Formats: sequence, C-alpha cells, structure tokens
Amino acid sequence: MQDHISSAFDRDLEGIQARIMKMGGLVEQAILDAAQALETRDQELADQVRANDRVIDDLEELLNEEAARVIALRAPTAVDLRVILSVMRMSANLERIGDLAKNLAKRNAVLMSMPAISGSTSQLRRMSRDVQIMLKDALDAYIQRDEALARDVIERDVDIDQMYNTLFREFLTFMLEDPRNITPCMHLHFIAKNIERMGDHVTSIAEQVVFLVTGEKPEEPRQKEDNTSTDLGLSSMQGRGV
Amino acid sequence: MYDVPHGRNEVAVTDVKITARNVQVYYGDTHAIKDVNVEIESNTVTAFIGPSGCGKSTFLRCINRMNDTIDICRVEGDIRIDGDDIYDKRVDPVQLRAKVGMVFQKPNPFPKSIYDNVAYGPKIHGMARNKAELDDIVERALRRGAIWDEVKDRLQSPGTGLSGGQQQRLCIARAVATEPEVLLMDEPCSALDPIATAQVEELIDELRQNYAVVIVTHSMQQAARVSQKTAFFHLGNLVEYDDTTKIFTNPEDSRTESYITGRIG
Repeated sequence: MQDHISSAFDRDLEGIQARIMKMGGLVEQAILDAAQALETRDQELADQVRANDRVIDDLEELLNEEAARVIALRAPTAVDLRVILSVMRMSANLERIGDLAKNLAKRNAVLMSMPAISGSTSQLRRMSRDVQIMLKDALDAYIQRDEALARDVIERDVDIDQMYNTLFREFLTFMLEDPRNITPCMHLHFIAKNIERMGDHVTSIAEQVVFLVTGEKPEEPRQKEDNTSTDLGLSSMQGRGV
Repeated sequence: MYDVPHGRNEVAVTDVKITARNVQVYYGDTHAIKDVNVEIESNTVTAFIGPSGCGKSTFLRCINRMNDTIDICRVEGDIRIDGDDIYDKRVDPVQLRAKVGMVFQKPNPFPKSIYDNVAYGPKIHGMARNKAELDDIVERALRRGAIWDEVKDRLQSPGTGLSGGQQQRLCIARAVATEPEVLLMDEPCSALDPIATAQVEELIDELRQNYAVVIVTHSMQQAARVSQKTAFFHLGNLVEYDDTTKIFTNPEDSRTESYITGRIG
C-alpha cells in the first residue's frame, strides 16, 4: 500500500500500530510470567504480573483515545477504517487477556499455601505457552497482513480447548479421590478456564486480522471443542462406584 | 497506477433510468472518456467521484448533451434514458434538458427576480396557461428547493441578492421547475459554507423521492453522505461502480481504495 498524501495521517496510523504491538508484547510476557510463577511458586513474579497489568490497561485507554481522534479528524475509509476498527477491538481483547493473566497471578498466593497437585501446573504452563505463541502469531499476522497465518491461529484454538477438557476431567478425578484436593483443584480449574478464555480472545484478534485484510469476518464459526459446559462429568464418575 | 478498467462495474440495479453503453468522448485528439458502461437507477443518488481530469464531469455533461456546445467535443456510444437514445437526431436538446435538469458548481441565478428565475423554464416550455398556474409552479418548485419560506415575501427581489446557499437552492428550484426526471449536479456545494452544504445535501436526499440524481463531487465525505451508488472514475475509465457503502468500506479495485483513502489524487 502506498503512503497517504497526508504524511501526518501515516504517522498517526503507524503510532497506533506501534502502540498495539507494544501492548501485545506486554500481554505475552504477562501470560508467560503468570504461568511460570504458578509452576515455580514464585510470589514475587506473580506480584509483578499484577502490578504490570496497570500499564496494559493504560495502553488500552490511550489506544481508544487515539483511535477516536483519528476517526474525528481524518474520517478514515476502507482499509484505514479497518485498521482503526481492528485496533480498537484488538486492544479490548488484549486488555482482557491481561486481566486473565492477572487473575492467574492472584490465585498464586492461595495455591502456594496448599499442597501441590502433581503435574497440573506444568500442564497449565504448557497450555499458556501455546496461547502465548498463538498470540505472538496473531500479532505477527497483523503486522504482516498475513491472512493465512491468522486463519491458522484460529484453527489452533481447538487444541487449547482440548487441553482444557483434559484438565477439567483430571481435576474432577483429583477431587473425587480426596476431598482435600477440592480447594486447590477449584483454583486450578479457574486458572485452566482463564487460559482457555485467553485462547478465545486470541482467536478474536486473529479474526480481526482476517477482517483487516479481506474486509470480511471469517465465514464459518469455528467448531467449539470445549464441551464441559454441557458435560455433567458423569463419564469420569462411572466405574468408580460413586 | 495502470490505465485499464477492470474493477467491479456490474452492479445489481433495480429500476434503471439511464443506461450508458460503450461511451467514448474525445476533445480533439484527447480521449477523455474511455468505453464507459453504466446503469443509473431511478430514485437514487448516484455520486461520481475521482481526481481532477478523470472525466466525471465530462461524463455527467453527456447525459444532457451539454457537450454539444463544445465544437471539438465528440461523443460516441449509446446513452438512453428510459430506453430512448438521447443522441438520436430527432431529439431536441432543449427538450432533453427540460427533462434532465442541471445544477452547477457556482450558483448562477439569472439577473432577474427570484420569481422570474424559476418561472423562466416553465414559460419557455409552455407549461402554464395563465398567471395563476405559473404561480403554482413557481411555489411548488421553490418548496421543493427548500427555499420557499425564506423567499416567499420577496419573490420580486433579484435572485442575485440572496446568499450563496440560498442562490444554490434557488438554482435547484429552477432546475426542478420544468418537472425533470433526472437531476445532474456538478459539484453543487463546492462554493457553499458547511451549513448551506448540509441544507443542500438534505435537499438532495428529498429530491431522490422524485428524481434520479447524479452528483459529481470532489468531497468524498459528501459522496458517502448523500449517495446510494458511487462510481469512481480514473483517467477516463469507470474503474468501479457499486453501492456507496461497499465503495467506502471495502472497494474491489486498488485504485478506488488508494483514492478514497487519500493515497492518489
């Protein structure tokens, strides 16, 4: 795409896109740090994630103000309009992911006071690592206007959903085995659910990339793999004499 | 920028008023309009946009044969209104222009009274049998021009004494006085302030109830605000013709996109 005749318009758009990339980088780091704090039981790192969320929130605010200013002053059309619209939606998604990472960090303190549930935190860390890579790819797709990569990210959310399903069943099993596991498992389940929600927000960011490039939202809704909301968990209970 | 038409020119039109087929316009050796095909709907505002010299005004002027007045100008191809060829030898351009009204960039009221400005067309076309009928026609036209309330008490004052915005609405009233079916507007708001522009734009939307309105405008925001269909011209080609919403949100052709987003002028 050529430059605008008005170079100030180009500078505005570049500024906005640089800012959303910065926000994306901070959110990626928050996901990784929150999961690492969980696995290594590092309260200091968890506190840092919680404190850093303020910066992410401020960036969202700033991006919304800049987007509103460009709409008011430059009346963007076509691809320029889609840049602004997608940035506004993406910043909302990133802000939500940041909140979810903060929530992970919040639960760290409680979990540290309880016995560890074997293997669960490393699985959660793998799951958040995958979400972070998806986010990185979605942001790369945005900057490179790469529709194929964005669609690939949308596809990959299925894996996150499946990981969540597995963990859901696992936690159920731990809780059935020993009621003392219920409190930590409830927290761990919320954490898994939060990471799964991050995946949904990343998917929504990837959908914005498709919208930005093609002018249309991705046509078919992705198959939802998370069926725990309709699953009574009976399959895990069968054969246990409960 | 390449010089070939290839964008989306086929668009679903329901009630076709004007059909142009393979229209070519030459000014001497200059090929100003290159093979333009377009169908313009009734009761619709169609905007022609494009950079200066792209041929949009030239094409507009073909629709009421204003180009006939230019000696070196040659028009080829086929333009039909309601299926009738307007370049047929039997067509009287004066009668055609009664049917296809035109409003220009600068308000150009005749140096006559407000009343006579509007009454002139109906008089020469013999539309009124007596003074009372003519009064009716003038009032109706001024009401349609959304200026009646401002001038009803001073119909005998000179039209040139009105403000720019009022003059332009007077010219629109004059254009609709002959009961045209098509209204052509060549940058009707470029000499007006924002308030007068808003009034004329509001008027254009009302006129759509009765006429096919074709407007040439340099203001893309104006095209986006007032039109339902937009045609983008570039270097004499009709590059893209589609619903205005589509043109301004997700145009097919990269030249259209570059122009509306301010990348080529």
